[in-house]
Parts: sequence; structure tokens; C-alpha cells
Amino acid sequence: MNNTPLLKINNLTVTYPLNSEGSDVLKALDNTSLKVNSGQIIGIVGESGAGKSTIGKAILGLLDPPAKLVSGEIRFLGNSLVGLSEAQFESLRGNQIGYIYQNPMTALNPVLTIGEQVIEAILANTTMTGKEAYNYAIQLLERADVSFAKDRLQKYPHQLSGGLCQRIVFAIAIAAKPKLIVADEPTTALDVTVQSSVLQTLIKLSQEEGIAIILITHDIGVVSETCDYVYVLRNGKHIEQGETVQVLEKPMQEYTRSLMASVPLIEKRLHRFALPNEGKIEGISSHLGYLQEERKEDFSSNKTILKVTNISKTFYTPSTLFKPKDAFQAVKNVSFSVNRGETVGIVGESGSGKSTIGRMILGLEDITEGNVIYKGKDINSIINSEDRLAHYLSIQCIFQDPYSSLNPRMTAGENITYGLKIHKLIDSKNAKSLAQDLMVLVGLQRQDADKLPQSFSGGERQRIGIARALGYRPDFIFCDEPTSALDVSVQANLLNLLKDLQEQFSLTLLFVSHDLAVIRQMCDRVIVMKDGEALENGSNENIFEQPKHAYTRSLLDAMPKFQGLAQY
Amino acid sequence: MIKYILKRLWHSGILAIVMSLIVFFGLYVVGDPVEMLSDDEFTEQDKIELAIELGLDKPLYEQYFTYTGGMLQGDFGTSFVYNRPVLDLIMERLPATLEISLLAMIIGLGIGIPLGIFSGIKNNSRASKIISFFTTVGYSTPNFWQAIILIMVFAVFLQWLPASGRGLTNSMFGIEWAWLSLNGLQHMALPAINLAIYKICMQQRLAKSGTQEILYQEYMTFARAKGITRNRIIRRHLLRNILIPIVTITGLEVGGLIAFSTVTETIFSWPGIGKLLLDSIHMIDRPVVVAYLILITLMFVFINFVVDVMYAFLDPRIRHQK
Repeated sequence: MNNTPLLKINNLTVTYPLNSEGSDVLKALDNTSLKVNSGQIIGIVGESGAGKSTIGKAILGLLDPPAKLVSGEIRFLGNSLVGLSEAQFESLRGNQIGYIYQNPMTALNPVLTIGEQVIEAILANTTMTGKEAYNYAIQLLERADVSFAKDRLQKYPHQLSGGLCQRIVFAIAIAAKPKLIVADEPTTALDVTVQSSVLQTLIKLSQEEGIAIILITHDIGVVSETCDYVYVLRNGKHIEQGETVQVLEKPMQEYTRSLMASVPLIEKRLHRFALPNEGKIEGISSHLGYLQEERKEDFSSNKTILKVTNISKTFYTPSTLFKPKDAFQAVKNVSFSVNRGETVGIVGESGSGKSTIGRMILGLEDITEGNVIYKGKDINSIINSEDRLAHYLSIQCIFQDPYSSLNPRMTAGENITYGLKIHKLIDSKNAKSLAQDLMVLVGLQRQDADKLPQSFSGGERQRIGIARALGYRPDFIFCDEPTSALDVSVQANLLNLLKDLQEQFSLTLLFVSHDLAVIRQMCDRVIVMKDGEALENGSNENIFEQPKHAYTRSLLDAMPKFQGLAQY
Repeated sequence: MIKYILKRLWHSGILAIVMSLIVFFGLYVVGDPVEMLSDDEFTEQDKIELAIELGLDKPLYEQYFTYTGGMLQGDFGTSFVYNRPVLDLIMERLPATLEISLLAMIIGLGIGIPLGIFSGIKNNSRASKIISFFTTVGYSTPNFWQAIILIMVFAVFLQWLPASGRGLTNSMFGIEWAWLSLNGLQHMALPAINLAIYKICMQQRLAKSGTQEILYQEYMTFARAKGITRNRIIRRHLLRNILIPIVTITGLEVGGLIAFSTVTETIFSWPGIGKLLLDSIHMIDRPVVVAYLILITLMFVFINFVVDVMYAFLDPRIRHQK
């Protein structure tokens, strides 16, 4: 092997100013070092704010002010990249070092054709011109496994799927046969079945051309399947490095170990995530009795709390300048039932109609056809406001995006109790202490109830959302991708919390997610959906261990495999 | 598409009717054309004869239907004041307004957009701040004052450019144009610059805010990562995207220039259509005012349509909307 590494980063520090004078700075990268040999695939893993993307941008000279490269060196084939001019970087980018962006739909310019965007990269980085460049573009797309390559050149990004767009981005990245590609979360924005084939294409291309890859990702499964060598980062600091198997399964550092323990596994179901240093919840005083108090109506004789029969939902789009009115069937004839106290998961890729089902049960969308019987009552028959209120109180929701689901002008406490106050379920005097109790219940500080949502992290906001739902003393909570916007360690904590609360308050959960591993860990029964149809419905073990439907099998096969820490 | 065009036509028809009603009856309230047209020597009998001649003796609704009925057949009536067909009057003056409006818009776009892109990219530079200062001043000082300053500097002190009139005109397609001769162009310069100052300032601001928004999109970073030159990134990736909002505003601005450059035309004695409108309102020359405003309404409808088509041309997402 060649002795000079392809890329070598030594003690790199990059800062962002936190105030206008620049006296207070955030160290996005703190004295980080890295080495890549040619043809090697290395992974950089870490949670948000770890500085993963900053490394990628620093290598390509894409760090824009106010980011500042304070110290350290970056050497590519022995030559320093620090302080190169924009023009010098232009000749390096695309030509020597390629770049792949996280979200292919935003990486391609929406108003230019695919052809123009591929060909401009060819013209900029090779000596080809005209017809030759056009033919080479077709050839590149074909090599990136894009079908109908010639036709696709005529298209615009929004006309193609995310997976295809990402393949086109790959084609652009390899156009000039660079020696290194920086791939920043290349599959995160894609559905799981697309993810694995796209990733295979990337690996294939790099092997054919002998291109080294720096794979930046938060997905441990992806790293475990593709990388030779891994670096773990946290808050800009280098935590651990080593051979992939070594780092993932027998980590030396505490942080790496807790990170690995947080990864939901698909192979086996655990009672809860084995997280170190998980705090016990204490100090709830006055309102616990109130929260645990049973509702007056007793349905304990009836095991089934929710019965959904043949529901369908059709959305209509109004006619526009260029298209007539259009109908789209989001949910087709779906039936299932949920028993008291159990967790039922709906899993499917984007556009499968899984959230729409939940919204219909909540009463947020009209039901086009079919029946939803909740606690013995058909929700189509709810017409007076009293029944409607009873329905809403009994069914609550935890939303996907913790950033937009809280009112930013109200404190956390007000967010938790304002609905209760409107319905006069609690007076303002008790509202405050109830909010504080709920904060403690979800693992936050009592006094934090007076803070505004923006002073909380994403995970903490989601806890506030859970507290808000619990305040209504619901029987049933619809969880719509509650952790998909969160880091894996935060997710593990939150899922543990949900399990604890479910036991404590005998809640029934309907859990929607695109993440099979999360569903595997959380749910007793699972419904697999695709294009609005329920393809398979069965117990957790049946679905994950003996899937019947071909689509379920393909979903499971596509999941990147990670065995978990060695001691389990 | 055809359905859409028909819908647009239907809407513009209603608009034209509403417009004609408002203007027709509105002007009736303002004053009596007979009084404006007659001088001291007119006897009562003369006035009655004049009223009969102009058709003003009939009830107002009948006058309205006679007038609009004629309009449907392409007859926009006869001016009370000039005693000539209204359409001739308007068509005589429209080219003068058109040429000066378009020149002003070209100057506005040609200078405003590059300035805007520059100050958007170099947001914190001194040059950008100076540009923004001047566009704010240009935007917030009155147009007529700018006109007077222009006349003082370029016509009075420096004596480079003429301050009034249209100068020599030459014929093309049977219409008289000033821009075909140097003398005409010289006469156009000051009024066009006067109209353009506002447009430059507005385009600079639009282009600047657009640039700042687009510049931080991921596809801009990705374009850089592809290794294409800065020049090309600005020309293809940036410009194409910022043009989308600019087109909307520019469409309305062109309409506004053609319809309402009255102040500038008056100051520079430019024989355009704005001046005709002002004179006609003064004299309560109803056929001219009504016909003019209906034509302007239709022009705005047409401009909006062109803007929609341009939009779809610039933004493929609109073209292929599901």
C-alpha cells in the first residue's frame, strides 16, 4: 500500500461565532484528526451537532463565513488544502474530490434539467465537449443504475423520485473519476427499500473506479454494512476510532457504548433499551392520583378499544392552470382492531397512508368510506359537541415534528394545560402544579415549566408534547413518528419513557413509523402498509421472524443489519 | 389550458364591464361636459344643441348602452373635446408612452438586477451598503423632485440633453417612433431615466433578497461542490431562480409605467398617453377617459396572463404540477 494517505486531517478546529463580536465561539470541530487511504471506505458517525458535516465541508473548501477554520491542516495527496483560493478549490472539486448531499431533492436545482446539471459537471471537470459529453452523461446515468437514462436527461428533479435523484447525484460525483467522495448522509432522506439499493450502487461505483469514500452518517446500520473503518465524533471532539466491528461491537469508550445501546435492533425485541445512567423519575406530588384516576365509563369487559373496518380516504386536488381536478386514494379499504393496553404499530414507507389512518381515527380527517368504532361508538355518528369532546379527550396525539407542534409564544406549562383550561377540566390555580408534575413525569425539571419551547432541545420538546397528551388522561395515544426527528440516543430514552408511561397509566398506543427497528422494539402487533393498503397484519414475532408478504420480506432485507453490542 | 384561457377572458370581460360602469357614472357626478366645452359667448340654445350633438340630452343609462354598444363593435366613441375618434387619439399617443416605458424598464432591469445580485452576494461589503443606501434614497424621494433635479443638472447646467418634447420622429410600421433617431433618443433620455430610477431601486431590492434566499439553498452548495465556475453558478443556478419573483413584479410594473407615467410625461412635456388622460379628466372628456381605462384594464389582464405563462416557463414545477 502507498505510504502517503489520500487524505490526512490533523488537529482540525473549526469555530462558529455565537455572538456578533466573535468573543464567544462554538467549536464545531475541536482538534479532530482523520486519515483516509485510497480506495478505503471510512465512516464518520455521531449525533447531531457532532461536527460530521463540517469535516466534509472543510475538505471541499465549502465552509462559508461565519464558520472559521482556526487551526490544523488538511492534506490531500500530500498537498495542503487550507487557505486555497476559491479558484484553486474549483479545479479540485468534482475533479479530485466529489461530494454527495444528504437530500437529493434539494441538492439538484429545481429549475434546470437533469441533463444540464449532469453535463455541466462533465464540461467543468473533463476535456469532453458537445455530443461526447452528452453521450458520457447517458453512460454515467446507466452506470449509476438509472433506467431510461436518455429520457431522464430531459426531466426536472421534481419529476423523479428521491432514489433516482440520488443516483443522478452519484453520477455527477463520479463524472471526473475523483479519488475521494465525501458522502454526507447519502441515504437518510430515502425510504428503506430505496436506501439499500442506492447504497449498493454507491459502493459498486467506488469499487469500479477505486474511489475512496468518507461516509458521514448517523445510521449505525449503514456504517456496519459498508465501512472498513469508523470514527466516532461527539460535539466536535474525536471520541473513538477503529475497525468497524471493533468500534461498533466492542467499543472502548462510554459514549460509544451508550450510543450503540441506543440503536434499535431488528433481530430481537428487548423489553427496554439498556441505557447507562438512566434517571429514575421521582418527586411527583399532588396530581398523580388525578392522572391515574379511571374514567367513569368502564369498558373493561370489552377487550377491543378500537375497531377499524374497511376505511378508505380519497383526497381531491383542485384544478390548476395546467392540470384538471385530480383524485388520490391515500388509504384503501384497511381494517384492523386494537385491544386495550396494547401497542399496535403501522409501518410503511413515505406515502403509504399510515399517518392518514391515524388522522381519521383522531377525527382530524373525514373518513371517505368505512367505519371506525372507538369504545363501542362509531365516530362517524359523533355529531354533538359533547360526544366530540369526550372523543378528543380520550384519544390524544403525539406529533412528528417537535419544533412545530408546540406554540412558541406559550411556556411549556401553558402548552401542556391550555387545552385543559379551555375545556374547564382544571382551574388555573391547579393548572400550574399539574403542568409541573407532568414535566417531572416525562423526565424534565419542575421549574422548566416556565420556559418557552425554544429553550428546549428536540427530545425535550417531544417530552413536553407527551406531557400535554397525558394531561387529558387519555386512554389511547396516536404516536405519529414521534422519534423520527430525533437523535438515536434521544430516541432510545423517549421510547423507554413511552413504555414506562404506558405501563403506569395503562395506555393503548397506535404507533406509526417508517423505522422497522423502532416498530420492532415498541409494538405488540404490526400492520405493514404500502400505497394505502394493509398488506400484512400480525404479531410482532410473526411479522419480523416469519413474514408472509413479499413486500414485508423486502423491507426486512433492505434494513441495514447491526448486531448490537457484543455482550447482548 | 384552453379552459384556463376562456376563464381568464370571462374574468376580464366582467372586469371591463365593472370598470366602464364605475368610470361612466363616476364622471357624470364630477361635472357637466357641456359647461366645460362652452365659452362665455354660448347661449342656452347653443348649449342645448351641443348637448344634443354629443348625445348628452338622453338619460344616463341610455347614453351608457349607446356607448358600450358602439364599443362592442369597435367604436370607442368620439372625443367631446377634439371631436375625433377616441381610438385615433389613443393610438396616436400610445407609441410615445410605450417606447419610453419600455426603455425605462430595460434600464431598470439592466442595472437593478446586477446591482441586486452583487449586493446579495457581497452582503456585508461596503459597496453593498452604499448601493443599498442609494436605492433607499431613490425609492423614497418623490419622482417629480428627481425629475426637476435631472433637468437642472443635465439640461440646464451641463446642457447635454433636452428637457422637453419628443424631438424628431421616424415612421416604422406606419407609426411614428422617437427611438429611431439620435435626436429622438436624446429627448427620450431624461424622462426614461426619471422613470427608471424607481425601477432600478425596486429591482435591486428584489434581486438582493432573492439572491440571499437562493444563495443558501443546498443546490447552490452542491453546484459549487461539482466544481463548476462561480460565473456559471450565478448565471444559470442563481439567476434562473431569482427571476421567478422578479417576473411577477416586473409585469405589474410595466403595466403601471404605461398606464400611469402621467407625472413624468407632464414634467418633460412628453406627448404620451398619460398627459392625454390628465387633460381629458380635466375637460370631462368622458369617451376618452372611459375608453382609456377599459383599455388599461384589458392590458393588465393581458400582462397577468403573460406573467403566468412566463412563470410556467421559468419554473418547471408549475408546468408539471400534478
